[in-house]
Amino acid sequence: MRPPRLRIVALSLLAGIAGPAGAQVPGQNNAITDVPGISVGHYTGADTGTTVVLAASTTGQGVAGGVTQRGGSPLTRETDLMRPDNMVEIMNAIVLSGGSAYGIAAASGVMRCLETNGVGFPVGGGNVVPIVPTATTFDRATCNAPPASRPDFTSGLQACLAASGGPVAEGSVGAGTGAVSGGVKGGIGTASVVLPNGIVVGALVSLNSEGTAYDGKGDLYAASLLLGNELPALTKAGGPANRVPPSLPGGALRSGTNVVVATNVQLTKSQATKIAEMADDGISRAVNPAHTAGDSDTLFVLGTARLAIDTLGDANAVVTQIGTAGANAVSRAIVHALVAAKSTSCQPSYCDTFPAACRNRP
Amino acid sequence: MRLHTALGALLTQLALATAAFSQALPQTPGPKNAITDVPGIEVGHYTANNGAGGMTGTTAIIARGGATAGVTQRGGAPGTRITDLLKSEKAVGTAHAVVLSGGSAYGLAAADGVTTCLESQGVGTPVANGVLVPIVPSAILFDPGRCAPFNFRPDASFGTNACLAANNGPVAMGNVGAGAGARSGGIKGGIGTASAILPNGVVVGAIVAVNSSGSTFNASTGQFFAGYIASTPDAIVALAPSPAEAERDDLLRATTIAVVATNARLTKAQANKIAQMADDGLARALRIAHGTGDGDTVFTLATGTVTGNPNLNQIGGAAADALSRAIIRAIRAAKGIHVGTCNVNSYCELFPGNCPP
Repeated sequence: MRPPRLRIVALSLLAGIAGPAGAQVPGQNNAITDVPGISVGHYTGADTGTTVVLAASTTGQGVAGGVTQRGGSPLTRETDLMRPDNMVEIMNAIVLSGGSAYGIAAASGVMRCLETNGVGFPVGGGNVVPIVPTATTFDRATCNAPPASRPDFTSGLQACLAASGGPVAEGSVGAGTGAVSGGVKGGIGTASVVLPNGIVVGALVSLNSEGTAYDGKGDLYAASLLLGNELPALTKAGGPANRVPPSLPGGALRSGTNVVVATNVQLTKSQATKIAEMADDGISRAVNPAHTAGDSDTLFVLGTARLAIDTLGDANAVVTQIGTAGANAVSRAIVHALVAAKSTSCQPSYCDTFPAACRNRP
Repeated sequence: MRLHTALGALLTQLALATAAFSQALPQTPGPKNAITDVPGIEVGHYTANNGAGGMTGTTAIIARGGATAGVTQRGGAPGTRITDLLKSEKAVGTAHAVVLSGGSAYGLAAADGVTTCLESQGVGTPVANGVLVPIVPSAILFDPGRCAPFNFRPDASFGTNACLAANNGPVAMGNVGAGAGARSGGIKGGIGTASAILPNGVVVGAIVAVNSSGSTFNASTGQFFAGYIASTPDAIVALAPSPAEAERDDLLRATTIAVVATNARLTKAQANKIAQMADDGLARALRIAHGTGDGDTVFTLATGTVTGNPNLNQIGGAAADALSRAIIRAIRAAKGIHVGTCNVNSYCELFPGNCPP
């Protein structure tokens, strides 16, 4: 799908020749795992799945996090704990899952996986309670009714055991397995950016939106936010308006785009919460409508604390910089998700719906 | 004539106001003095005991027909799920159960068992593709490692068993369900429940798992801070001074979690308001309450069989008092544990004169 080595060469060229001084470039894998301390694992079932984003400080502890929750049909866990006025300051993992409210069970499997490795909030006696905030959504693309499978404890355990740094699979995997975006197949997408001052920001989205990500001609709203030639497969669709599939009919608990944004900067919970609010604009720019009554839309932020914020300048300016980069990374990850998604027996992909837009794909 | 009518109306209002006030202190309990006095509410406990004094468990409060739900979350160390959905502006306002559980965040797994149990019973919100989704918010308390290995904790099967045990009869209190492993200010905590019948036929009930860092009573007299709210059936008797030499539990490992229910018909925004008011009952009964290590969370379930414009202040005030009473009843019902090296006193062991048979 994306040969990483070629990508590195291309990016090096981009940075060294084409890029103006101080240009923003994607990280090595153009993935959330470009943020040090972040690893990702997918569990992919028959028509649903689970994705876990693990976060570790340099000492293996959890990291500060924040959340914004703007969709009207949220299915979440441990989001109260993430509020800045509450005590626990560290998050160990974020779980995104299909399976509607049932999929929340995957978080318990991730907790088991982390506890086994001694990772979690220390509660004395060497015991830990892993902090695993979670957001799930209803898989709209299931070709079976009722669905043939749903995420459970084991799905979370497997996703956690599969977690690694490096390239992240996109499209119909993990929490994006059964996802739909408007009238085309949704899925997992990821993107990253390295800022000139050394800040790295990455995003991972599970795109399952009620709204569409393309305009009346089939062109993606967020394509203009792509960095350089990061997605050579994508060109203009330019199709006639009557070929555009409509958004699926909505309804409570039917859809939702859940997201994790990560950065290598050390954040407080309040700063992470502010960054979450800004990064959420990345959904707004890429999907229309966003945050509907039926959408779960929940966005988490993690700061892995490799860079002290004081060393980067005014803290509020840095928060704004990360929030801006985060929003763009979210929009880009949504584009990546759509281009990576493959058609299923009941849900065509973006590229199969608008082949002209993807005519450069390998 | 017109003056008479106006005077009559004024007198009626005064009488109603007096009735409302006299209703508040003390309350008239329902026949079970339990949250199950609220039509449509069932309770099921599942309790585990390791034989060495270690206990934990799960309590499921089930509204099989669905109930309008709200929540307030004021403790500083919460472990919760599906609370975002209960915000007033979100699309879904109906919950089918609330799960209270021990086990810290691990215990959230019990709600998964309640969810699948309700699904198998045909209870839930229809979504699409034939999927029925029971909406099961949950909050947990910290009890792991008390007279038991740290991994002695509720899992999904606890929720399944609590769900299968649910009924609308009398509700066991003390060392059961989510209160099995609970402590309160250094003594044994537990499950308590209470109800109140309001003059207009509205029923309000509360159930609570008291696992507080703060205490519920004056350590030298045994007098409950919220004793003035208790009604005769709550069986408060003469106070007998007695020394209380109990060690305070770690302030970072606590949590009091509760559900208040009513048969009034509420909107979700109203259910959230009732939860906020009911939380005052927790504040009156516990000193301290809502600390940094407390996960204090209060849910509302409104089954809505009594239609008409609800008197929110009356219901919220009654819910607060019912919650205070439920906390006292939890502490009085709790039994001390004395198994080998596992020793925790109960309130009634410390103040036997306050606990007539």
